[in-house]
Amino acid sequence: MTAVDSAATVDGTAPVPARRLRRFGPLIAAAALLVLAAVPLFLAPFATTTLSRILVFALFAVSLDLLVGITGLPSLGHAAYFGVGAYAAGLVSIHVTAQVPGPLLVGAGAGALAAGLTGWITVRSHGVFFLMLTLAIGETIEQLANTWESVTGGANGLTGIRSARFAGTPLVVAGYTYWYVLAVFALGFAIIWLVARSPFGAALRGIRDNEPRMRAVGYPTALYKYAAFVLAGGVAGMAGAALVAQQRLVTPADLGFLTAAFALLAVVIGGAGTLWGAGIGAALVIVVRDALGPSMGGHGTLLLGLVFVLVVYLLPRGAAGLRLPLGLPRVRSAVFKAPRGGPR
Amino acid sequence: MLVSVLNGFAIGFLLFVLAVGLSLVFGMMDVLNLAHGALFLGGAYVGAALAGSWDGFLAALGIAAAAGLAAGVVLSLLTEPLRRRSHLDQALLTLGIALVAGELLLIVFGDDPLSVAAPPGLDGSVVVLGVPYPTYRLALIAVGALLALVVYAVVERTTVGALVRATVADRDMVAAIGVDNRLVKVAVFAVGSLLATTAGVLGGPIYGARPGLDATVLILALVVVVIGGLGSVRGALAGSLLIGQVESVGRALLPNLASFALFGALALVLVVRPRGLFGARA
Amino acid sequence: MITDQTLTRRRLLRLFGAAATLPVVSACGSSVGGGSGAGGGGGGGGTVKVGLVIPQSGVYAALGTDMQRAWDLWLEQHGSKLGDRTVQTVVADEGETPQTGVPAVQKVLQSAQVDVVVGIVNSATALGVRDVLAEAKKLLVVSNAGAADVTGKSRTPYIWRTSFVNGQISAAMGTHLAQSGFREGVYAIAPDYAAGTEVIAAFTKAFEAGGGKVVGQAKPPFGKTSDYQPFLTGIRASGAKATFCFFSGSEAIAFVRQYAQFGLAGTIPLYGSGFLTEGSVLPQQGDAALNVQTTLHYSDQLDNPNNRKFVEAFRAKYGAAPSCFSVQTYDAGNVLDRALRTAKSLDGDALAAALGGIGTIDDSPRGLWSFDGQSPRQNLYLRKVERRGDTLVNAIVKDLGPQQSQPA
Repeated sequence: MTAVDSAATVDGTAPVPARRLRRFGPLIAAAALLVLAAVPLFLAPFATTTLSRILVFALFAVSLDLLVGITGLPSLGHAAYFGVGAYAAGLVSIHVTAQVPGPLLVGAGAGALAAGLTGWITVRSHGVFFLMLTLAIGETIEQLANTWESVTGGANGLTGIRSARFAGTPLVVAGYTYWYVLAVFALGFAIIWLVARSPFGAALRGIRDNEPRMRAVGYPTALYKYAAFVLAGGVAGMAGAALVAQQRLVTPADLGFLTAAFALLAVVIGGAGTLWGAGIGAALVIVVRDALGPSMGGHGTLLLGLVFVLVVYLLPRGAAGLRLPLGLPRVRSAVFKAPRGGPR
Repeated sequence: MLVSVLNGFAIGFLLFVLAVGLSLVFGMMDVLNLAHGALFLGGAYVGAALAGSWDGFLAALGIAAAAGLAAGVVLSLLTEPLRRRSHLDQALLTLGIALVAGELLLIVFGDDPLSVAAPPGLDGSVVVLGVPYPTYRLALIAVGALLALVVYAVVERTTVGALVRATVADRDMVAAIGVDNRLVKVAVFAVGSLLATTAGVLGGPIYGARPGLDATVLILALVVVVIGGLGSVRGALAGSLLIGQVESVGRALLPNLASFALFGALALVLVVRPRGLFGARA
Repeated sequence: MITDQTLTRRRLLRLFGAAATLPVVSACGSSVGGGSGAGGGGGGGGTVKVGLVIPQSGVYAALGTDMQRAWDLWLEQHGSKLGDRTVQTVVADEGETPQTGVPAVQKVLQSAQVDVVVGIVNSATALGVRDVLAEAKKLLVVSNAGAADVTGKSRTPYIWRTSFVNGQISAAMGTHLAQSGFREGVYAIAPDYAAGTEVIAAFTKAFEAGGGKVVGQAKPPFGKTSDYQPFLTGIRASGAKATFCFFSGSEAIAFVRQYAQFGLAGTIPLYGSGFLTEGSVLPQQGDAALNVQTTLHYSDQLDNPNNRKFVEAFRAKYGAAPSCFSVQTYDAGNVLDRALRTAKSLDGDALAAALGGIGTIDDSPRGLWSFDGQSPRQNLYLRKVERRGDTLVNAIVKDLGPQQSQPA
């Protein structure tokens, strides 16, 4: 059992509590969506803008969770596809059209394409090797963004991006932008959630838990992993398009190592494998960085790092696995199958 | 051009001192210590605070070495409970520790980049192959080569070294024959971290000390370790000298492509031969 | 057991919701009311609210400190007034990148509801907030960011600048070197990013217009290069008679030190854009920086009455010498003071119109200057690093005369 594996019992079926919770699941989701949609009516513009930022990062983290929590591929370079989607959406907004859903589709497509081009080598590795490989790819793409000045604007980034237009009206008011971002978030989350619930998702979880066994049973695991990688890249690209609509600016920092590391933090803190956990983790990261950070002298990262260390230690399933008493003794039980990396 | 080759050796030996610890720890325990770069930066800051005279420089080396030893023991103890969980968890733990350590260094030493003075006598230049070359870098080649020799001798020729090599090759078998490999692990972690902080002090006059340097050298060290092979001293040496040349000669010939070449080589090796050129396990 | 866990998860959600309402309560309002959320002006009657957006963390923090100190000094010397309005300053941390810079500007505009924004070190952030300011119709006085586009290609009436334009500084050096006997060959080197490219382009244009020849050029990767040996070898191999460079921060420290360590300092004189030796990098460079000549629009060694007073007051209050970043922000106070005396109201359009009518600023520590296309048209000075007592300073060698803000 690891921070990356999600809850699973000995016989491989979903644990009883999760089945119980599923009854309340749609209700909670609907309620949450309603609350989120009503937010701009009650909050001042800056708070709404912050919430927009959280939603963008949350969608990015959820797409990473598909890779990390559900397929078991820990990526430290996922920000590359987020950034590629953002740059693509930005360029389309400037040169072609800012009309919804144009930049959104282009962003998703660009993210998926980039993931497709780089994914075929990454899915051949696993565990910490996969981690390092994705790190290398992420760094390379960031370097590309920095040097390809004519297209990306180099270190200054892509500026002067027009705001998204919905049926001709530019979405400039903080509340309207927020609703657009919320819609993109809901769409992206729904896509990932449906995939995770499907038989394909179950196969991905099987690959995460024991790839050789899945292969023995006849699944083309490399193909499945590749498909998950591309899908995650596409949804990350969607998040990038939302970023552009909200921030109106893309810089190489958006696809850098720190962004990718923070997303991984968000996924682990929230609970890898449960998609909504990634959302909560993302909210925590953004709030600490933007709201608490300045009052800590800009050292919000310190708090995040400490929380991360504590979570890895004490809450292997992240915030989603919060339970009393703590699960650590359970983790070392001989009943559970051997951790990945043990005798193969 | 030849000066670039010489420079490549200087960078290469420095990288070796930094990366050999990472390689051995990874090879022995499959623990990817992402806090390794922070150790280097810590050493660099100690150097920045104390260097300027021979006393200061040697004091910096001593303090950095002691701090590195302690840090290694602490890291080893912190990752030990996660041993039964996946290696990924241990890597994630070290990532969290790296972030915390980076921020602490920022709080203590501030945001400004600092320079580290070479000890007097070594801060001039000598004429090598017709051109002036910093004396300090020549000294670095000598010291680095010496350390490489010492590490090689210890790992390849002593009983302790044999234990280390055996644990890299098959830790369960070593446990089966009755050796408590936990002590070996702690020792390797400690010495590896000591070498990393020492590399920080030694590299100070070239790299300085600034926030963000930990991420830069971590990636370089990862490239060296992956290309050279996990758990192999020979591999770490080959990898670091190779990367040193890429950084020097490569940047002289093709400055923009050099960075891509680095990551490209990393990706290639990870795909074709994940255990590296001299990887311990087949 | 099962019930426990179900409750715990829902409890977590509830807790999160409860925790979220706390900041929400303090952030109540409406984000869909008319307008883009900037709301009414912050200072009513005889007050003006200024948002000072400067780096308080990250790699530019030292510049932020200089800027804040100068701003505080101006207010102290003028009874905390700009024009005849009392000033209320709100400080926000720009951070290192636009990822934190743009939200900081949004925060002072939307949350603190300031009337004017001052500051911004990072050019990418300055370019990135252009639309935010235009939509809110508030004025920004940039007191550092030097990208030409800020008042060039991306010009907006709401962004004015009291600092410099990247190319302005290097063009002055280009003209100077062409007239100083280096026509046969100069090597140009700057990091590979937007500012570096701008600087080299302006330098090359001015240098070649004066009959000079650039015999080699290099662009080390920005932020990733610590060892300049490969480039120093290239400089030597090119046969250049002088080197022109543009570096700042840690790269300036590393380059200048290594330039000396590799023996180039004595044979191929080093020239640069002023930031090479400005501020906190000079003490770190030590003796390696001696005799390096740079061009900049300021040095604390300038010998005019306004500067002498300014340096004295700055030293008395803070125990350190001011830098160009201090003067830029001090002058931001100066121009806002003048503008507010004639402006009809505090919104961006009125302030922009008022700034346009200011004319020449004659009491600035840097000398005479005026707005030229919303950026300063100012004198540039040739400076040389010398040792005075036991500190290194940028001594003034020559006044190179006024330079227009956007080199032709």
